[in-house]
Amino acid sequence: MPSWLRYIDRRTLHRRTGVRPDQLKQEDFARYAPVARAFAESHLALLQRLPLSICPSFLQQIEQLDSSFPAERATLQRMCDFLLQLAQDRLTALTEPFREIHLSSQLEKKDWVQAPAEFIAELTAELWSSGQIDRFRAASVALFAAVPAPEELPDRLTLVVLGQDATAPASTVLRKVGRRGVTLTALRAEELSSQIFAAFRRHAEASSEPYAHWYVDGGDPWKDSYRTIAGTVAVSYPELDPVRIQTLSRMEQIVSSGNAGAEEMRARMTAMNAQELGTYTVTADPVLRRFYTELFTQSSGPQIFSTTFVQWTGRELVRRAQPRTLLLRYAPRQRYQPFNEMLREPEPSSLDPEGSLRDAEMAAYYTWIEMNRITAPGKGSYVVWLENTSRAVIIGNGAPGGTESSNPMNLEQALKQFC
Amino acid sequence: MEFSAAKSPGSIARTRREFLCDALGVLTFASARQSFALSRAASMLQPSAKTIVVTFGGGARDDETFAEDGQQNIPHLLQELLPQGTFFTQVVNKGILGHYVATASIVTGTYERFDNFIAQPPPNPTLFEYFRKGLRRPVNDAWVIAPSNGFQRIGCSSNSAFGPEWGAGVILPKRLLSAALPGRKGKDVDLLHLLQDNYEMPVYQPEESEEGRELHLAMLESTLKVSVQEFVEHARTLNSADELSIYIAQQLMHQHAPSLLMLTLHDMDIAHAGAFSLYVDAIQRADRLCAELWRIVQSDPEYKDRTTIYILPDFGRDSDGDPAGNGFQHHRTGGALARTTWMLALGPEIRQGRVVERAIESVDLVPTIGCRLGFATSTGGRCIGELV
Repeated sequence: MPSWLRYIDRRTLHRRTGVRPDQLKQEDFARYAPVARAFAESHLALLQRLPLSICPSFLQQIEQLDSSFPAERATLQRMCDFLLQLAQDRLTALTEPFREIHLSSQLEKKDWVQAPAEFIAELTAELWSSGQIDRFRAASVALFAAVPAPEELPDRLTLVVLGQDATAPASTVLRKVGRRGVTLTALRAEELSSQIFAAFRRHAEASSEPYAHWYVDGGDPWKDSYRTIAGTVAVSYPELDPVRIQTLSRMEQIVSSGNAGAEEMRARMTAMNAQELGTYTVTADPVLRRFYTELFTQSSGPQIFSTTFVQWTGRELVRRAQPRTLLLRYAPRQRYQPFNEMLREPEPSSLDPEGSLRDAEMAAYYTWIEMNRITAPGKGSYVVWLENTSRAVIIGNGAPGGTESSNPMNLEQALKQFC
Repeated sequence: MEFSAAKSPGSIARTRREFLCDALGVLTFASARQSFALSRAASMLQPSAKTIVVTFGGGARDDETFAEDGQQNIPHLLQELLPQGTFFTQVVNKGILGHYVATASIVTGTYERFDNFIAQPPPNPTLFEYFRKGLRRPVNDAWVIAPSNGFQRIGCSSNSAFGPEWGAGVILPKRLLSAALPGRKGKDVDLLHLLQDNYEMPVYQPEESEEGRELHLAMLESTLKVSVQEFVEHARTLNSADELSIYIAQQLMHQHAPSLLMLTLHDMDIAHAGAFSLYVDAIQRADRLCAELWRIVQSDPEYKDRTTIYILPDFGRDSDGDPAGNGFQHHRTGGALARTTWMLALGPEIRQGRVVERAIESVDLVPTIGCRLGFATSTGGRCIGELV
């Protein structure tokens, strides 16, 4: 083999441009990793029936299956199996709106089989500029709504801890989530962290599936041994500093290069990989390696604010890992200063506990919304505790919204009574 | 890509109406239209009529402004300004939800389709060109004060029938301050927070060329009549870039009394960093600055009782319930809430305390100003009947 050939990206050897989905062949997936390849091959008949405006979105998810969470694999499998067995006329009806989307010839010539993410980025821009985004959105909503929800959904427990070092009066916070549940005002603050650990362990012990239980901390984590619970992943903002700092460093290089437009920055960040950012120094697990990398490369904010990191991690976990047990603990983020300063100084010069509390309150509300999307009615328990106080909100099947309970109780009793 | 069911515009309007009625106790006039004839309006408003357009170039949601939870953030808009003006509960933006291209669409009255992230003149004529050419107004009579990310080209279009000859002067406060701080940024750390240029991603604008810097400094002294030293000293007293924009607006009004002025408040776009508290702080600041601008107008004889102000966000932000987005953080879903916002108009000949529920579009503003001031426009929008 000539030496220059070694420098050609492996995928260019398989490049076929201007392919239509109905022309897809098994060989097109030769570059894919084993699980992805097998999945694509076994669903080739479905992929061939999808219009070009939607087929790459499926391929993007398939391409990453080898480093996806089990829940992601199961979700994709369920969706594709459902569409595959759907009667031809029904599938045609669902996909017809995508067929009506006009794509430029330039886009049609892209190698969307080997680089679906790049195709989707350009497709998105084209949908906006051509005024077709609303039609595409409506078509997508209809397609995904047609896929039935899984029959069995597990019980899920969500625990959120916020307000560290904040001095805002307890009575003025947690209003947004408080409307959805019972505000507890007589908890024993000094015992709550161990009660949370006990509740987490109790719930997590019901299932030892990998990646089913998560503890995410925005600061120095609690000392309780969450990692010893089977199927539990514990991660904190400081632990991921090597990845975060490397990401910030790369961002600053891009800025310094003078080509720092938002679009360019986003494209170059998305292209960063775990190898480049040294994520292997944090974990040897390829699934976690990809997850931790993307927390910083496919987001806006976690690189500089620990509160955004915790919220975004929770959001991504719900969408991807679909945790059965989730503990999110917020710590004070750095005080706002110009972004260029925050890029250059990965260590915060001062903290903003009051602003962080307000960030976390909204974030806690978002976590509740996200968890509701993957939880069957009556199967979710949600607690948010204002750290170091006797105040928390509990939302569950038996928790009447907008009410308050001043009865002394521990967390276990509260979960039994209200969830 | 992930998507969710969209909220209907009708339900958005109903929600807003309920909130406003509860909050204000004002009557709504769903179909009321003032019957001012164009010619009458034009004759009454010329030649001394002044127009100020304020956009929130950060995208602001109902949830943090006129909806129940948001009203605490906008006491000035709600209690001082709204009772003096006409409030439109549904202003729909059907175009691209990027700040530069959306603002360009507002000022051309046509949904522009160019790349939001590339600074370029809009292809369609701008409000400033229609105004200056139509009414034969001098060069200093139309100004834009804008954030720097792309907006430097918003003053005039590339349309061959108009163009720079009829455009507005554009002042970029952050570039101005940056130019005034050559080699001093290390010493003036306390001013760096005023230079933040783009919140879409955590990046900042690269250094400007020496030529660009000199142009900005010349503008400072010749247009605003402020020395570099005075400018820097004043900037030191401010908390944000939006406050700097209001200061510059005041200087422009004092020096040139332009008849047409547009400014974009941009601080709230910090939402892209995901910090809710910073986003809300910026909305509260914008609320205060709108009231301050109104007070400046009413205390200046050149402007008092002859100025119409239009305040509108360029669009909303993603809704909390849309799984394709992340709530307030971005405006990427194209959902109904991200596309729908509001507008407040106040000034002479504008009916006070009126709430209009019917949907209008953000591209309707330019033809409306044309109708009121008596110059022709050729846009995709329509005159807003309640304002002419």
